[in-house]
Amino acid sequence: MGPLVPQEIIGASWNLFIAFGIGIGFGFVLEQAGFSSSRKLAGMFYGYDTVVLKVFFTGAITAMLGLLFFSLFGWIDLSLIYVNPTFIWSAIVGGIIMGAGFIIGGFCPGTSVCAAAIGKIDAMVFIGGIVLGIFFFAEGYPLLKDFYMAGSFGPIKVSDVLGISGGVMAFLVIIAALVMFKLGELAEKKWPREEY
Amino acid sequence: MSIRNLIFIGLFLLGMVIAMVPENTTKPYKLTAEDMLIEVQGAAEMVDADEVAHWIISKDPSLQLIDVRSPDEYQTYHLDGAINIPLSVILKDEYLDYLDQGIKMNVLYSNGTMNSHQSWMILRQLGFENNYVLQGGLNYWFDTIMNPQAPSVYSPNEEFAKYDFRKAASGALGGGGVVAMSAPAKTKADKPKVIRKKKKKAPAGGC
Repeated sequence: MGPLVPQEIIGASWNLFIAFGIGIGFGFVLEQAGFSSSRKLAGMFYGYDTVVLKVFFTGAITAMLGLLFFSLFGWIDLSLIYVNPTFIWSAIVGGIIMGAGFIIGGFCPGTSVCAAAIGKIDAMVFIGGIVLGIFFFAEGYPLLKDFYMAGSFGPIKVSDVLGISGGVMAFLVIIAALVMFKLGELAEKKWPREEY
Repeated sequence: MSIRNLIFIGLFLLGMVIAMVPENTTKPYKLTAEDMLIEVQGAAEMVDADEVAHWIISKDPSLQLIDVRSPDEYQTYHLDGAINIPLSVILKDEYLDYLDQGIKMNVLYSNGTMNSHQSWMILRQLGFENNYVLQGGLNYWFDTIMNPQAPSVYSPNEEFAKYDFRKAASGALGGGGVVAMSAPAKTKADKPKVIRKKKKKAPAGGC
């Protein structure tokens, strides 16, 4: 049956409309959970608040289990799911830049839009920075292209590289997540902050 | 026990289940039996040999002939521009780009129509589009296009027009070289023109 959009069970225009609805819902949940506070995101790095880790990892695990069980029941054809191609060097460098931006700016791209929507000026400045970054990257693309495209592995998955099934990989990720959740809570006890 | 710990345990158990069950690697059929029955009864997958001959001669770029016979048979004889995807390996990933696409018109053929139809049924049920079957297969192709029989003198004019076209096509495609026979009464002025065009192309096609 699924995925619904690649199989054109949901048309392209409805696709955008549904995406709009999901986007609004996502933004609402982010704001409602307090993610529009840059202190919450910075807390992840200082160890006094690890909610960000828990929320995003729980989301990832839920989606992962959902896809695997849907595939098991024959509700979705996983071969039609888009897998992002891996460019290892740009992924590493991009991750470092993004992580640094997280600590310095106190927002991730999604939460910055959320915070701008409730009128936070620092979030608007952050979005301005994103736009500037996009502009300079696009203009400098001819210079960066060789590095950007280096280390191409195509759409590989960790489970394929390790030679294990997707289910075993999922189980390992769940264990890793649970361990990280516990570590996060220990960190919250060790480096507590009263008011932030 | 807190709700949070219950969720922890739930996720852990679900993870254990998904780690132990084998992966579902079956390619699900996208058409139900009812859909398939309607398709089969409509017979819209059949393409006429005359039409295919016309496309081959005019070098229609949207046509992709696919020979579903064995590689040996393909080597011995195949239609101009045909690629070989034997029925036995039709599900291999390397052929997926040819069979599941939205640009070209794939015409499957075998000696008769059984193997080509079997291939078509599998592809159709997988939800692939733009796959068709050469009506009558290669046997019919040889009987009608390559060695056309003259219709009886009492036949309707359309029969003669068809015969003339087949004669010309057979010349263009390297079949028997009998002189074309024109109909006693010409139905349309543009029919003979089409034939003359074919004859001009004949040497190019033959080489």
